Amino acid sequence: MKRGAFQRGLSLFWWLMLAFLYLPLAVIVFYSFNSANSAAYFAGFSLRWYERLLNNDQLLDALSNSLTLGIASSIIALIVGTLIGYGMYRHRSRKLGWLIVLIYLPIVMPDIVFGISDMAFFITLDREFGILGPSLMTMIIAHVTFQIPFVALIVYSRFVGLDPTLFEAAKDLYASPFQRARHFLLPTLKPSLIAAFFLSFTLSIDDFVISFFTAGPENATLPIYIWGAIRRGVSPEINAIATLMIGAVVIAAVFSLLFNRRGHAGS
Amino acid sequence: MTASATPTDAAQPTEIDNASVRDASAITLRNLHKRFSGDAIALDGVDLEIRAGEFFTLLGPSGCGKTTLLRLLAGLEAPNEGSLTIGGKDVTETPPHLRSVNTVFQSYALFPHLSVHDNIAFGLRMKGIPAAERERRVQEIADFIKLGSLLERRVNQLSGGQRQRIALARALVCEPDVLLLDEPLSALDAGLRTQLQVELQRTQKRLGMTFVFVTHDQDEAMVMSDRIAVLDSGIIQQVGPPHEVYERPINAFVARFMGHVNLFDIQGIHDVTVTTALGELAMEAPLQPGKHGGVMLIRQEVIELGPTVSEGYNGLDGVVKERHYRGSRIEYRLEVNGQPLMATASNLGQRLYAVGDRIKVSIHPEDVVRIEA
Repeated sequence: MKRGAFQRGLSLFWWLMLAFLYLPLAVIVFYSFNSANSAAYFAGFSLRWYERLLNNDQLLDALSNSLTLGIASSIIALIVGTLIGYGMYRHRSRKLGWLIVLIYLPIVMPDIVFGISDMAFFITLDREFGILGPSLMTMIIAHVTFQIPFVALIVYSRFVGLDPTLFEAAKDLYASPFQRARHFLLPTLKPSLIAAFFLSFTLSIDDFVISFFTAGPENATLPIYIWGAIRRGVSPEINAIATLMIGAVVIAAVFSLLFNRRGHAGS
Repeated sequence: MTASATPTDAAQPTEIDNASVRDASAITLRNLHKRFSGDAIALDGVDLEIRAGEFFTLLGPSGCGKTTLLRLLAGLEAPNEGSLTIGGKDVTETPPHLRSVNTVFQSYALFPHLSVHDNIAFGLRMKGIPAAERERRVQEIADFIKLGSLLERRVNQLSGGQRQRIALARALVCEPDVLLLDEPLSALDAGLRTQLQVELQRTQKRLGMTFVFVTHDQDEAMVMSDRIAVLDSGIIQQVGPPHEVYERPINAFVARFMGHVNLFDIQGIHDVTVTTALGELAMEAPLQPGKHGGVMLIRQEVIELGPTVSEGYNGLDGVVKERHYRGSRIEYRLEVNGQPLMATASNLGQRLYAVGDRIKVSIHPEDVVRIEA
């Protein structure tokens, strides 16, 4: 039947798309277990590249920088972004359209523009006032700037999905402003906050461009280390790092998705 | 409270409080004005006394200001002018969480992150009621509202009727001076609605609590209320017990809103004879001096239909244009002197008239009433 053929065609297209998206990743993962020194052939299963990683101090430093940067920036972005998201919701009836656009804009701004601007900004501050020279601190600030819009939007969309009379019900049931935050806003937001944290963390771990422009000489993150290592020639070790990063990002993204979904299912 | 206080000791003062409150007026509204941004006027000078222990209904079409009035009582809106007293205390400036008032919201507004039990306990917890007493009171209200088996459920697993009950329990458990209900039955289907109307009324009588109920449904208002205030354009048109508002509406708006009426512009009145498009009809009493014009009101159910005109009645000739059979009653749309006239007859097994039948219409002079336009 014609319709059957069409359905089969659609499903074939789906599998092709998946292959297109994930085949390069699969190749990296596959070769990370290759015992040979080159990616030209597969010599047999081995964990030697993973072992090498554990003894590579530079790489472990980069990993620790990435994690510190990711966690610190995500926590700050979570606090600031949540407050912005709540503010956007509370004052949504006012004509704040252009202000809201300012929050969206960084999401579509090219990273390279952000990175260069951040660098120029920090260099100026350093020159004029002697503060904020390239360091982990400048990287955290730069990461927070691109994480905030995502957190604010997740929090805002959670609030918009809520019955607005819930806010009034909390007041009506004797909750003081502090109690409303503690017993209504935070518990209601919790799944969205966890989702926003994991998304921020994923974005931070993933980022190369902005980190590259704002990092000090001591603060190479994992992507910066990999970039440097590749310039010296592709080592199978890179495959192993990439595989670990894929795993970490997938886990964080799945957490983000699960919690965001749970948050919206409740309303 | 001292450590030696027993539950009975604790219970007694509240009983006395309730009794003393009941003597006083529960709610006094003085000259309340509320304007929203732009020139929308929601309330335009409302004066009202609501007695303690009363089932009081704010009735009106959408946009009449009834919900705004309820929100002012809850403290969710602040008036632009006027004052508001609840239980003898001026609460005009008091924020909602410090008022002894609870609301059953139209959407129920149950917290999705909490179980049924925790939803009901929320107000008590915020007030700082100790856990043991909180548990006792939640159990008590759960038995009272008959939702014991639902306590551990999440609220998104419940039906509309169950949510309504829980919203009611969550407000009642706080034992407020006044319970506010914002169209709490409007989302339910007709059968459940009728059942819950009766249940709500019973609950109110058993607790002796002051209920202020908002609805746009005049049947609902009449079934449940001790007194009704009919609102239009932010102004209270009439306040009174259901039978008074229904039978003696003060003006054409109230009459039309309560329903089942025929209204005709008055063209002239001489002594006890009133002239309208329907013809000349006799009234019971002459018009009070100083009043003229207005509208003639004839309720649909006072009109008698038959082959002859009854003794002492106004008689008119009519033709049946439409018949609506409703089981317990039959509605006829008649044409009298070229004017439409609605008549409702109780179904007592009498003969049904068919469309096109010519009949005599009898209206007692007592039932011909002049009201303000």
